[in-house]
Amino acid sequence: MKNLRYFVALGAVLVLIGGALMVMRSGPRATTSTVVVGLSADITTFEPANISSRDNMNIAHHIFDSLFELDEHGKHVPALARELAISTDGLTYTYTLREGLTCHDGEPLTAEDAAYSFNRIADPANRFTGNAPGFVFTSVGFQKAEALDPLHVRITIARKNPIAFGLLTEINIHCKDSYEKMSLDHAATSPVGSGPYRLVSWTRGSEIVLQKVGAAGAFDRIVWRIIPEASTRAAELIAGNVDIITNVAPDQIDAINGSPTAAVQAVTSTRRMYVGFNLAEPFRQSPGGRAIQDAKVRRALQYAIDVPTICRQLLHVECERATGLVNKVNANPRLSPYPYEPATAERLLDEAGWPRGAGGVRFPITLQAGRGRYLNDAVVVQAIAQYLKDVGIGVDLQLLEWASVYTPLIRQRNAGPLFFLGTGGALWSPIYDMNDIARVDSGTNYANWTDPRWFSRWDSLIDAATPEESRRIIDEMLQVFYDDGPWLHLYFQPDFYGVSKRITWQARPDERVYAYEATPKS
Amino acid sequence: MTTVTRGASRAWRSMVAARWPLLALLILLAVTTVAAFGPWLAPVDPGRQSIVSRLAAPMTADPQGMTHWLGSDVLGRDVLSRLLYGARVSLLVGLAAITVGGAIGILAGLLAGYFGGWVDDVMMRLADMQLAFPFILLAIMFLVVLGPGVGNLILVLGIGQWVTYARIVRAETLSLREKEFVEAARALGDSTAAILFRTILPNIVAPLTVIASFNVASVILTEAALSFLGLGVPASVPTWGSMLAESRDTLLANKWWLAVFPGLAIMLTVLSFNIMGDWLRDLLDPRLRERQ
Amino acid sequence: MWTYVARRLLQSLVVVIGVTLISFMALQIGGDPTYLFVSERATAQEIEVVRHALGFDRPLHVQYLSFLSDLARGDFGQSLSYRQPALDIVLGALPATIELAVFAFVIAIALAIPLGVIAALNRGTAVDGSITILGLLGQSIPNFWMGIMLILFFGLYLRWFPISGHVPFLTPLLAGDVVTAMTNLPRTLYYLVMPGVAVATYSLARNTRLVRSSMLEVLGQDYVRTARAKGLAERTVVVHHALRNAWLPVVTMIGLEFGFLLGGVVVTETVFSYPGIGRLLFNAINQRDIPLVQCGVILLAANFILLNTIVDLVYARLDPRVKLARNR
Repeated sequence: MKNLRYFVALGAVLVLIGGALMVMRSGPRATTSTVVVGLSADITTFEPANISSRDNMNIAHHIFDSLFELDEHGKHVPALARELAISTDGLTYTYTLREGLTCHDGEPLTAEDAAYSFNRIADPANRFTGNAPGFVFTSVGFQKAEALDPLHVRITIARKNPIAFGLLTEINIHCKDSYEKMSLDHAATSPVGSGPYRLVSWTRGSEIVLQKVGAAGAFDRIVWRIIPEASTRAAELIAGNVDIITNVAPDQIDAINGSPTAAVQAVTSTRRMYVGFNLAEPFRQSPGGRAIQDAKVRRALQYAIDVPTICRQLLHVECERATGLVNKVNANPRLSPYPYEPATAERLLDEAGWPRGAGGVRFPITLQAGRGRYLNDAVVVQAIAQYLKDVGIGVDLQLLEWASVYTPLIRQRNAGPLFFLGTGGALWSPIYDMNDIARVDSGTNYANWTDPRWFSRWDSLIDAATPEESRRIIDEMLQVFYDDGPWLHLYFQPDFYGVSKRITWQARPDERVYAYEATPKS
Repeated sequence: MTTVTRGASRAWRSMVAARWPLLALLILLAVTTVAAFGPWLAPVDPGRQSIVSRLAAPMTADPQGMTHWLGSDVLGRDVLSRLLYGARVSLLVGLAAITVGGAIGILAGLLAGYFGGWVDDVMMRLADMQLAFPFILLAIMFLVVLGPGVGNLILVLGIGQWVTYARIVRAETLSLREKEFVEAARALGDSTAAILFRTILPNIVAPLTVIASFNVASVILTEAALSFLGLGVPASVPTWGSMLAESRDTLLANKWWLAVFPGLAIMLTVLSFNIMGDWLRDLLDPRLRERQ
Repeated sequence: MWTYVARRLLQSLVVVIGVTLISFMALQIGGDPTYLFVSERATAQEIEVVRHALGFDRPLHVQYLSFLSDLARGDFGQSLSYRQPALDIVLGALPATIELAVFAFVIAIALAIPLGVIAALNRGTAVDGSITILGLLGQSIPNFWMGIMLILFFGLYLRWFPISGHVPFLTPLLAGDVVTAMTNLPRTLYYLVMPGVAVATYSLARNTRLVRSSMLEVLGQDYVRTARAKGLAERTVVVHHALRNAWLPVVTMIGLEFGFLLGGVVVTETVFSYPGIGRLLFNAINQRDIPLVQCGVILLAANFILLNTIVDLVYARLDPRVKLARNR
């Protein structure tokens, strides 16, 4: 039978090819003109108004520029615009553009393009749901944008907002002529901006290649590779095929640092990790949901968790426990982190009327968490469940699929009664961090908190005449949050970046990964 | 009675002669014993964490003076205890999934084979759908939505197995239904159920047993793959597959004991089921028997 | 034969529709997916607008029927998360997976036959023993673990093979760019070695054992004894008489095999950061991107049916005893 002989021959040929290939070793893909970044999550779109994940925004920021920027210290610095004037009523923001800007399509970039970018995002006909329309515009109450002349663009918002200037840095400016010609489908894969790089190719789930346009950036090409598995990412870094990787698994830090090719940079990010107490009505039917209505029970639980040990053991970093929802530089300095005192926790729980019952359990309660989203989340949340069990809380831990199950619960403010979550924050304003709980009915008031001592102070905070007065109100609010708030305080998430020794690049605390800042080491 | 004794002694002789099946049987007996008595054998509660003594190497003692014979895992839980408990869940999942899949498959196969016609058509189209639908995607879909849980896992893995059984049972039933002894049962006025389950089924048990012993192995592996994807059993329940999946981030850091022990447990068990399957096939398959 | 093919096509249509119904139900029982497609600060009114726009406010049967009628017109709908035509996205990911599956498939068949034959011819010796044990081992290693170990050992420690990634061959080929495709081919294969081995291990092991046992069975048959008795060379006996019959069971497996390999692909693609359809659909399921999942599942099911129809036709040619009506 002839076919069979072919099969055997094919097998032999394969073995030969395999042998030949083994000899031709894998050459490193990172070269002097290319920097390669390994990301853990895939990106979905280059439509500026639909981008919502941080990785996606980071790549987009190489292609699009914004009017102003926040630097690594949270300072508001000029970018496409050189000046910003805010009206005294706080409702109009007038930006003065730099002269001589050009788009990647060759057209000059003017106030017309800037105004168009804002209005296009806000156009309800486009049904955009990204960060820009969904978070920035709803937060500032965007009304309209107009070009006053080629260099001046004026943004109007609905109400005075002390952090609007910072939020507006997240709007990407795109180029009107090109976008007017493109369908929405087309625009999602062919971005036209004015940033330092332009998109060359995008293979979904695999890699994004950017090419340098202007003078900025030391590397001609930036390749973003999607490498979901942590071990694979680390292996590629150690092998020298990738220059920067994000989300290094804590247990792989030593292996990377022990290699001759790369080292890990650890930064404390602005992302606030906490366990929320969902105080919503429906949960009050269950004993656990009823128990946490009492601020004393919530405070008791603060003493039950050993946060520094969780950081040291599970996250491979020394940390100071958070005192609230505001990043440390802006926190109320008079507040000190709750210590780990399980005995105090037990005493407070006894006093609150929840003594240990049958089997040593005070009350049962469900703790929900998504998995695979935050640094070592599954492990951290299991440790938290153990700490709570140690003081007699009958924790039923539910680790749920992040996107399809947990996200809808969170969005509907239905997670819990205990839920583990991390929320991105900022260094440039305490109000940004507090803004998640600006109103009782805010979509991001996931805990359904209603304390009037917190919510009634918002109006005076917005209208505060001086920074000192604003600071005083903030500190009062943070005290309330610390004492009786809806969060079990944990830590600010550490971020680990693996960086090749052949380049110089500094990780930032705000989760922004800008590869154009990388330079080759000579 | 004597035929049973004779059969058993023949089985025993062939087992001893072939050596490997004997070893496999011993391993499976040991695993079953561990599964049954695991909670009493385990040195400590497998869920007990001690994050200050996490990733302790085998044979080292933690600050509380407890020795982790096989080391401790990412949360400082005792690997030996989890392995012993894991035997129970892994075996339960494997056997229960086979039972679920087997029960559905046998019923579907008997009905399709015996009645033919539209019953057969419907069953076989359902089987085609199942085969055309990559099983892992089906499992992911249901587990994502249903959430983690031992029951859900068993159900999903069981549904993934039924077609194999249905096809064999259908084919065998087709050939058996015209046989004299079946005709005789029908003539005697036996009910259809009695014919299906008392007359036909006992004659197909042999090939089913062989298939089942191979399938336990693939079910245990599928469970591991689903754990790797973050689906499967809840985080607090140890299974060998989920232990292996949890070791993924520590492999680079050389924490070999997290992978090697559950890996060995899976390997030995799967190996034993496969060897038993081979042996059973040689023993039960009449064509092979004639040759020997 | 043509009536057979026609009936097969009709049955396939029923199967594909059934498959879409199953995945539609599976993705819907988790509740309304709207919340995945609105921003976190959306008001109830905005959520309602999006729900209406996505059509999730309609009764389930209406949603499903409208999906079917779109499908009948060849419209697979828009992916909800990528906001691109679902078909484009699936077709973009399919070539990479086909490359991986074919590569793994070739390993699983091409190596299994010689190994199985060698084991059978040396029955009971150390060679047979070690092939058998390796086969059993191969059937007991989860493929994600195999993948990570391959990466650490052959990728990182020995540096023989690339750790992750993919070099496209089919995509440029289908686009008509033969030159690029051919230049890429060596590297495509090179990048396929480790993921291919990880996917193929289980099948290779199983097929080896299958070939071995069917070979043993055939070697005991009368016609082989006769051939031997006629004094034919052992090689002739093995190749011409024994093997041609022994590998029939392997052919039967081929169709099923492909579906099985696709299953292993989800996990392996994640480990090797391989941009294929397994990872795409896994993510799509997690995002409840119903149109994308439906489109992928339909194409995979159609692919499976097509392959099995071909296999059945080929099998009927190879083995005249088999009548096509067999698999009614």
